[in-house]
Amino acid sequence: MNLTKRRMGVVPIGNIPEIATKTIAAHIIGYLNLDSDILPPLKHPEYAHDERRLQYNAGAILKRLDLEAFPDHMKVIGVLDVDIYVPILTHVFGEAKQGGKCGLVSLYRLKKQLDGSTSPEPILLERAAKVALHEIGHLFSLLHCMDERCLMHFSGGLRELDNAPVLFCRYCSAYLRDAIRRQMKTDE
Amino acid sequence: MDEKMRIMIVDDEMIIRESFLHWFEKYGHRVEAAASGFEALEILEKIPCDLMFVDIKMPEMDGIELLEKVKQEYPETLVVIITAYGSIDTAVKAMKLGASDYLLKPFKPDQLSLVMEKIAHQKKLESEYNYMKGRLEEITRFDNIIGQSPQMEDIFNLIPEVAQSDSSILIVGETGTGKELVAKAIHAKSRRANGPFIAINCGAIPDTLLESELFGHQKGAFTGAMHGRKGFFEVVSGGTLFLDEIGEISAKMQVDLLRVLEEKTITRLGDRQPIDVDFRLISATRQDLEKQVTEGTFREDFFYRVNVIMLTIPPLRQRKEDIPLLVHHFLDKYSRETVKHVDHVDRKAMKLLKDYDWPGNVRELENAIERAVVLSKGRTLGSDSFSFLKPSPARIEKPRSLREMEKNYIQQILDDCQWNVTKASKVLDINRVTLHKMIKRYNMQRAS
Repeated sequence: MNLTKRRMGVVPIGNIPEIATKTIAAHIIGYLNLDSDILPPLKHPEYAHDERRLQYNAGAILKRLDLEAFPDHMKVIGVLDVDIYVPILTHVFGEAKQGGKCGLVSLYRLKKQLDGSTSPEPILLERAAKVALHEIGHLFSLLHCMDERCLMHFSGGLRELDNAPVLFCRYCSAYLRDAIRRQMKTDE
Repeated sequence: MDEKMRIMIVDDEMIIRESFLHWFEKYGHRVEAAASGFEALEILEKIPCDLMFVDIKMPEMDGIELLEKVKQEYPETLVVIITAYGSIDTAVKAMKLGASDYLLKPFKPDQLSLVMEKIAHQKKLESEYNYMKGRLEEITRFDNIIGQSPQMEDIFNLIPEVAQSDSSILIVGETGTGKELVAKAIHAKSRRANGPFIAINCGAIPDTLLESELFGHQKGAFTGAMHGRKGFFEVVSGGTLFLDEIGEISAKMQVDLLRVLEEKTITRLGDRQPIDVDFRLISATRQDLEKQVTEGTFREDFFYRVNVIMLTIPPLRQRKEDIPLLVHHFLDKYSRETVKHVDHVDRKAMKLLKDYDWPGNVRELENAIERAVVLSKGRTLGSDSFSFLKPSPARIEKPRSLREMEKNYIQQILDDCQWNVTKASKVLDINRVTLHKMIKRYNMQRAS
């Protein structure tokens, strides 16, 4: 049995403050009861830059992450500090495919307050952790949740993100626990 | 947005289709994708969709043309128009053609969420509307008045016809034939359908109380009248008043009612001020009112006033072909109500039900099925489930021979005397030994 496969990975993409990756890793340990490693940083995702939108295509970055394989980790969250988007939306805070291996969290828009000023660091870190846990939920096939007090509820803006507690509702918790258990069995 | 939808994305750009697909997957919706309007219509022929996101700018068939076609052929499918080049003109045109919303690509994440919430709300309202519409149709399609016999077909045909007029209707039928259901169906089909329907059983209310119930009273009109109260004539204004067992009302009340029907005004008890009333009267009786008129117990003028149109509902024994239909209807109803999976009546039991005379008509049949379902231990009702039904003596098949008649009579007396032979022989005025011989000769047995 490959025991390391029970671990989660947090990978900085480009120049990311260490505190951000450490916070996300700590939240994974604390909330999902899974060990997590901070992996060696990857290069700035220039390849995903869209000249017209002046943003970075989240899909392209995820594809590149998938190529990395990360054989020793169950799931991996990439953390970056660029403005990411998916083609139909103006921006996203994070991105992950349902049941995929890798997800993304962008600090770019999380750093801003609603009035345009810079967020205090604790707020930024809490937001990053929430987005990371939400995307990990998708990696374990969790759907968006109707419960506004659940981390799997879709937050379209910073206000909703700030209002959401760092908690999964009991249904999503149960589903997540089950999905993690199933994933571990598959990996064995 | 907890209800999962089937959504179709119609966009010639694959990257947009994929992007939508990944987005809606996160909500658990099922997503179809089409690269053109033609492909979209092909998919719609096979798979009905709840919602479509349609790009305006597409080669061959543009989004507006597709919207028009979808709204024409699949009006229940909601369409959201998406475009990268927004113009007020196209937005207005799309909305006029029935688009549910109009979005400019790329959208803000919460914009898409809002649209989806709006769509879900619209869907919910639509399904509630459809449910209510269905219920209303069920009610106006004479819910619970079940029948396929020619007699019932006649009633079904008559109901919408008589509903159109405002004339008084007299429904005649034995107890339990569904007179009130017919009255309700007439009300539901009439122009008064949005008004109240009030049913009063004249036979169940003492005459003095009936007067106060119908006409209302002023404060202090009689001992105990602490407050003024509107009567049913006022309350039912704009609707239909159903007076059941009209043959039971007193001669005085017949005069009072006759005046109301002729003058369309009432005066509350203890008051002198006439009040205009507007209602349609439907009466019902199980008695032979014409006979009562001849005998002088029912006023002739009142009879003709309430009997402008007469509907006669046949007793169940005269339309036995309706029994299986009714049995399955009530079986379904009580299986659902009692959460018991009883869904069959075996052939023997059905024959028993068809042979029985049902003196209490449909109501008795309904009660019998309810009782059988409640007490049933299996999925199928057998004849033993209906052992409580005893054929009425009057309806037992008439004997053809003297011998048969003698046998039946002895059997009946023995049953009445709980097979106490001494007692029965006394009633029959024959010797006990003779009775024993007859029991043996006719091979008579005590019913279990």
